[in-house]
Amino acid sequence: MTAADFQALLPFMCVAAAAVIVMLVISFYRNQTLSAILTLAGLLVALASLPIAWSHAPRAIPPLLRVDSFALVHLALLLVGTVAVTVFSQRYLEKYRMERGEFYILLLLSALGALILAAADHFVAFFLGLELLSVSLYVMVGYIFVKEKALEAAVKYLFLAGLTSALLLFGLALIYAALGSMEFSALAAAVAGAPDGLSPFLVAGMLLVFAGAAFKLSVVPFHLWTPDIYQGAPAPVTAFLATVSKGCVVAVLLRFFAPLDPASQTGLFSALAAVAGASMIVGNLLALLQDNLKRILAYSSIAHFGYILVAFLAGGENGPAAATFYLVTYFAATLIAFGVIGYLSPTDQEADTVADYRGLFWRRPGSAALLSIAIFSLLGLPLTAGFMGKFFLVAAGAAAGLWPLLIILTVSATLGIFYYLRIIIAMYSGEGRKSEGRTADAPFAPTSATVLVLLAVLLIVIGIAPEPLLAFIQAATTLAP
Amino acid sequence: MTIGIEHILAVSGLLFVIGFFGVLLRRNTLVVFMSLELMLNAAMLALVGFSFFNATMEGNVFVLFIIAVAAAEVAVGLAIIVALFRRRHTVQLEELVSLKG
Repeated sequence: MTAADFQALLPFMCVAAAAVIVMLVISFYRNQTLSAILTLAGLLVALASLPIAWSHAPRAIPPLLRVDSFALVHLALLLVGTVAVTVFSQRYLEKYRMERGEFYILLLLSALGALILAAADHFVAFFLGLELLSVSLYVMVGYIFVKEKALEAAVKYLFLAGLTSALLLFGLALIYAALGSMEFSALAAAVAGAPDGLSPFLVAGMLLVFAGAAFKLSVVPFHLWTPDIYQGAPAPVTAFLATVSKGCVVAVLLRFFAPLDPASQTGLFSALAAVAGASMIVGNLLALLQDNLKRILAYSSIAHFGYILVAFLAGGENGPAAATFYLVTYFAATLIAFGVIGYLSPTDQEADTVADYRGLFWRRPGSAALLSIAIFSLLGLPLTAGFMGKFFLVAAGAAAGLWPLLIILTVSATLGIFYYLRIIIAMYSGEGRKSEGRTADAPFAPTSATVLVLLAVLLIVIGIAPEPLLAFIQAATTLAP
Repeated sequence: MTIGIEHILAVSGLLFVIGFFGVLLRRNTLVVFMSLELMLNAAMLALVGFSFFNATMEGNVFVLFIIAVAAAEVAVGLAIIVALFRRRHTVQLEELVSLKG
């Protein structure tokens, strides 16, 4: 390893070092605020080191990682998501009388796993990144172990993530059998060398890898426990689950499947298209039946990853850029939504039923406004980032001629109006009846308020002027086939 | 009889399928967890076998990583199941119904 290699790996090393430092500090002096500050510092230093790593990109660090502009864009996104989760967690955990410092070690390790996935260039890095992400997340989901729901969600997440890694591992083994190598580049070479058809080992392996990733993205038919886990996990952890742990899987999937040409792999890609279509329909339909805000967001996230799969299937020049752009908008809106839910939750329970939000605007206008912006963006109203995200997805899909999927996308997305507007209507109704709903009264901490407002401003700025960000993402996410 | 790649695939595939259906069908969390480990072990067996037939060491090295990761997963997983048992006095999946829409 040369000095340049180390500089390219600085973001990873900062996060890893922060985890070790927080652990050492906790063993001498327990203070939740201090742990949170150290975690934030580590993440911000990692963010600050991205330009240094950028100056060395693209750089392969053999054999495991590849730090290129695609990886770095996703790294930035994942780190920003983790920063927001750290800020939300600090306030959320204050409500509980328990040992809280360890949460930040787990958060940092989980984030490190996500970063490794985004830069993985080898099966071993793929698997280790995924496991680092998941094993830390099991504990985070069940961290408030005095709550039965949290423990139940942790057990369900344990089995779901365990199944993910087993499927993925067997898929990787089959691909290894066909290729004799574990580097992603060998996959590209094998695809280029066999234009008329891949070996059955390779196709079966690809399907298993996709199934494993699909569990993590919770797309149909691998979505069954997602709403339970969203509902049971503490709100900041749900925010992490919904954003960082899914975003990194999208990144690795884009890189993994980049060498495949949809036109020549019709069997494989029609299976993926069926998954995308089913996710959009099922996610949007089942969200209609829910009364719980976290479950509504869970089903809507199933639909959102169906949308992202459209860009993934479109591939080519625009696919990765559209998927990444959509991830940015989805991250910002989802982080706001779960951040606000975490804030409004009183100690003994989560404020997560729609009834809790009745008349929220008249009690807490700021929270209601933030939540409204997030929901409008998730819905994809014009002038919000979500609209531009959907627009570029549809453009990428249309360029690839995926008409059936685009029709499903537009029709099922309109269903979103019904369940999202229910929340909006609840928030702005019931003027004067201030005692309704079980929401906490404590004011926002300045740090969280800053993060939430910045994210909301980002949603609106991207919605009005998406070109600079899109141009940047398009330049950075071109994956050489 | 010489052992070919298809034999390795058959044994590991069978173990993997047994584990998969164990995860889907069994209702005791400990048995589900064991089935998960069975799936991981099937994948490890496949990797070692394929490593032999590809005449590269990568598969063997990967298995060493997986063993370490699987051990960590078992430690964390069992701790969660024990914590659940202490609160709920059950390890049966069908009794975990407090989360429903």
